[in-house]
Amino acid sequence: MTPVPGSHLTPDDLDAWLAGALAPAAQEHLAHCPACQERAETEREVVALLGALPLLGPTPGFADRVMARVTVPAPAPAPSLRSFRRRILATRRNAALAAGVLVLLVGSMAGSIAWTLANQETLGTVGQWLTYQAGQVAWLGVRGVASSFIEQPWFAELKGFAAHPGRLGLALALAMVAYLGGILALRRLLALPARQVAHAGV
Amino acid sequence: MADTPDWARLSDQEVVLQARAGREAAYRELIRRYERPIFALIFRMVRDRELAEDLSQETFIKALNAIESYRPEFKFSSWIFKIANNAAIDRLRRRELDTLSLDGSPQAATPEAMQATALQIGARQESPLEAVEAKELGGAIEVAIARLRPEYRSCILLRHVEGRTYEEIAEILELPLGTVKTYIHRARNELRQLLAHLREE
Repeated sequence: MTPVPGSHLTPDDLDAWLAGALAPAAQEHLAHCPACQERAETEREVVALLGALPLLGPTPGFADRVMARVTVPAPAPAPSLRSFRRRILATRRNAALAAGVLVLLVGSMAGSIAWTLANQETLGTVGQWLTYQAGQVAWLGVRGVASSFIEQPWFAELKGFAAHPGRLGLALALAMVAYLGGILALRRLLALPARQVAHAGV
Repeated sequence: MADTPDWARLSDQEVVLQARAGREAAYRELIRRYERPIFALIFRMVRDRELAEDLSQETFIKALNAIESYRPEFKFSSWIFKIANNAAIDRLRRRELDTLSLDGSPQAATPEAMQATALQIGARQESPLEAVEAKELGGAIEVAIARLRPEYRSCILLRHVEGRTYEEIAEILELPLGTVKTYIHRARNELRQLLAHLREE
């Protein structure tokens, strides 16, 4: 009689076998052990019988009977144009106020367009002056920040570090890795925790 | 008018969000998705159609009225199966207590009363109607499931009828993973033995 390799299948092995993922050593044993073969086959039959049980259901009208005893919260009213218009026209005072605001808005817009068309030269001069002034202010700001930066005690060390392209490259690479790591961590954090359930399509 | 979502495309969590926003259709969608598996689980636990219907209703009413307390980081299916299983187990325990109290019933003063009590107990467990029903429902395997201990029954039904993972069953039954595995293996073992006569035939 040929000796059977390995030990008999454990319940976990049988689970793995039913799932089609039995380890090679256990497979080897199963191929040579009639007792385990019989056990595995009967397990498969039991599982098949369980899987073939009819899908039972409650009597018709079940959902209505349940819903008759469930309290559905009142839906939050969604702001709509219709409800907004109704609110505005609710009283004469509201309507007059709304009309006043409308006249003011349309009037000021029309006035602004008319003035712009009539005074294009003046507008151009003022625009140029404003652009020049804004440029001056921005330049002064940049200079101020740069001189403050240079006067810092750690500036010399930083300058020395940046003088070596290798170190600078390494620092940039590390920063890039940290950035990518952060992005990946954020994606995992924002992933939906649960999947669609098996019965969703039943 | 508000848009009607394509319910079939939404996950349970999304449907729950719609229910929380006060959409009755979302409640109905949750019932549609789970009425059959919940009823089937409870029916196979208590073996009484009317009682299973009542307990299924109780399960949904309890779950849907407490939808605000559902935590979306867990599966909705686990949550509702847990409520259903607890309802079935509670009822089975109560039935067990009823049976015990009737056995030693202080009201049973005469031998006739004692006999009537005994018959009542017997009738509840093995009535001809239930035997016929068991046959209709798939015969031997249904009877074999009914003979398992309730905790084995929950495990085996959730695993091999409802297709839940071991981890999810552990969550539903609030048992350690190892215990769930042991229960399922023992249940399968018992079923094999109970069904052995079929193989011999």
